Amino acid sequence: MSDITLSRRSLLLTTSALLASTAMPTLLLAEEAKPGGRLIVAADSEPKNLNPAIVASNGVFFIASKVIEPLAEASFDDENGLSPRLATSWEGSPDGLSVTFKLREGVTWHDGKPFTSADVAFSALNIWKPLQNLGRVVFKDLEDVETPDDHTAIFKFSTPTPFQLIRNALPPLTSVVPKHLYEGTDIAANPANSAPVGTGPYKFAEHKAGEYYRLEKNANYWDKDKPYLDEIIYRVLPDRAAAAGALEAEEIQLAAFSAVPLADLDRISKVPGIVVVSKGYEALTYQLVVEINHRRKELADLKVRQAIAHAIDKEFVVKTIFLGYAKPSTGPVPQNDPQFYTDDVPTYPFDVAKANALLDEAGYPKAADGKRFSLKLLPAPYFNETRQFGDYLRQALAAVGIDAELVNNDAAAHIKAVYTDHAFDIAVGPPVYRGDPAISTTILVQSGTPDGVPFSNQGGYSNPELDAVISKAAETIDESARTELYRTFQKLVATDLPLINVAEWGFITVARDSVKNVSNNPRWAVSNWSDTWLEP
Amino acid sequence: MPVLRRFLGTAEGIAGGAILLAIAITAVLASVLFPGDPLAIVAEPMLQPFQHQDAILGTDRLGRDVLAELVHGARTSLLVGLAAAFAAIAVGATVGTIAGFAGGLVDEALMRVTEAFQTVPGFLLALALVSVVGPSLPVVVTAIAASAWTQPARIARAEVLSIRERDYVASARAIGMHPAEIAFREVLPNALPPVLTLASVIVANAILIEAALSFLGLGDPNIVTWGGMIAEGRVVLRGAPYLSIFPGLALVATVLGVYLTGEGVVEALASGRSR
Repeated sequence: MSDITLSRRSLLLTTSALLASTAMPTLLLAEEAKPGGRLIVAADSEPKNLNPAIVASNGVFFIASKVIEPLAEASFDDENGLSPRLATSWEGSPDGLSVTFKLREGVTWHDGKPFTSADVAFSALNIWKPLQNLGRVVFKDLEDVETPDDHTAIFKFSTPTPFQLIRNALPPLTSVVPKHLYEGTDIAANPANSAPVGTGPYKFAEHKAGEYYRLEKNANYWDKDKPYLDEIIYRVLPDRAAAAGALEAEEIQLAAFSAVPLADLDRISKVPGIVVVSKGYEALTYQLVVEINHRRKELADLKVRQAIAHAIDKEFVVKTIFLGYAKPSTGPVPQNDPQFYTDDVPTYPFDVAKANALLDEAGYPKAADGKRFSLKLLPAPYFNETRQFGDYLRQALAAVGIDAELVNNDAAAHIKAVYTDHAFDIAVGPPVYRGDPAISTTILVQSGTPDGVPFSNQGGYSNPELDAVISKAAETIDESARTELYRTFQKLVATDLPLINVAEWGFITVARDSVKNVSNNPRWAVSNWSDTWLEP
Repeated sequence: MPVLRRFLGTAEGIAGGAILLAIAITAVLASVLFPGDPLAIVAEPMLQPFQHQDAILGTDRLGRDVLAELVHGARTSLLVGLAAAFAAIAVGATVGTIAGFAGGLVDEALMRVTEAFQTVPGFLLALALVSVVGPSLPVVVTAIAASAWTQPARIARAEVLSIRERDYVASARAIGMHPAEIAFREVLPNALPPVLTLASVIVANAILIEAALSFLGLGDPNIVTWGGMIAEGRVVLRGAPYLSIFPGLALVATVLGVYLTGEGVVEALASGRSR
């Protein structure tokens, strides 16, 4: 035991030292960026549709965010955590019915046509609102986008829409695509979805299926002198064990999104020339959640859900499954969200005796074989960690007399089983928190979502009080009142446990130390990398 | 038991038999040696092997006893191997006997079906079946048997073709026995021995296919399998190779044991015939 703690501590020390060493150059400007070079990074998935305006997911952003830009990007230092991209300023009206964006001048698309407010209006009304997975929620009341001139776009809403929400949604939801290529076509089948044309610092060059994507420098980028790199190559490396080897062999220079398995980080952090960075994913926090099917009569009982919460040793999960690269959760908003998080919620410390007592109280005594009842447990297959947590949860439940049978599925079958067929009792899911509970968090517990919507409440849970808070917050313009409502929301979720939040984690980037300006914003891996440069 | 004596007279027979016997005893006694769920978390995670009394072979990433997993995994492997071989030979011998004995259109039809199965690589067929139906032990056994029955079918048919022309079959026909009765009571028992020599190959193959399926995450997640252990250990291969090496060695020993036993049987039968 003692040697394990020691090695973890030393690992954390090295990590923070490395963090400091990567952060220092940018702070002190001690090193001048040198242009040129080719950055080779590992890509673990290979999306065909590279249109982030339609598919706002990290796999798409990882590549497409260098080509297609949003109105604003997340930032560590700027006001409200946003730095301007295609918009230079944004202002909400006091009634919550309109938002005015001033757009950047002198921006051209990669095909030479000028970027104007018409492109923003087209993207918003024809793609974000009707087609985008997340935009459907945030922009559902968007009625019109007025374009009084080429560089002003005024978003008009039919019902008051909180400006705070629109602001928080700018980085992930507002990728602008060229109107002249999409207008009058079948947007979902447009060839520009697989060979995107944008305004970003890099132009899409080619995609060789199964091998690589290639992006090249956009010499006419609006931010003069940028980007520094000549080329970015995404080498398709679906095998996670291969990424570490490729980094050591200097075949690639960067592996983001924890492409190097957590278990390998301790070892690779000691390899000279390689740095392990856990910063740069603050705005993409993943949450480890136990999804519950409330149609099962045992699980509809709050005492049973409380017992399950008490049966899970969050510290063990963080220490053993995430090897320390995660935090135990208290509720549906992660602790790294400075705007909304509150720790003033009921907590469920690890306590097997209490869990057993609650189950006895609920009227499910242990039978002669030590079992109270059986459950079907479906761990999501997307991450090693979700699968491992499934293995752990089965054992944790066995300790309190609940017999959980694991059912393994591939990604498509898992989504169908849980979100369409409801063929689960408990499931392990990794939803993403995107900087505002209204974007993708409230949908996990709100009632009334039709069957088949992935990553939503499909457990049959319905709580009128919680629903009322969620819909009130969705139309509350005043920011402090809205924040307060989301604190109530956290409290209600932690009290009634429609689902159980276990842990929250960000990803890890592993890079050669020759790559500079790594992880300098909270969405770094999915930002535009215009200031990234390579030491020759 | 002259065959058994001859079997034990061969070096392969002795070695293979000893290995298999040891593994079989381990598998049978698994619940006595390590009672309870072998997947239970019993100690600190990632204990190195040969350093702790409670977990002699160390623990895995969640703190499960590797030795307990290994012992219970033997049970799964042998069970899958034997069940799949039994099912494959039963189906194969039946199909082969019917085809060979009936002849004509039935023969043509059954053999074309057999060939159709043979054109698909066995592992891919199993993979497809398990991913469609869902991973559980019976499905895995069925999937392996579905890809392994063709060889017994062809050999059984070849044997039957020669046996059905023998005099005792003709006499059985003459006394008016039902053709099905002749096929399964007179012909099949005599066609079986050469088919049975395939058993060792099928068992060994089945164990490997099951391990490969588990390695790919298509095994039954509620029981321990060696393939599943290797897959889990692979993530930490550089830091804790023992997690993959131990189940790997167990797999090698079992397959080798089955194979050597098979060789011993074949040799014993052959020397019996030549005498």
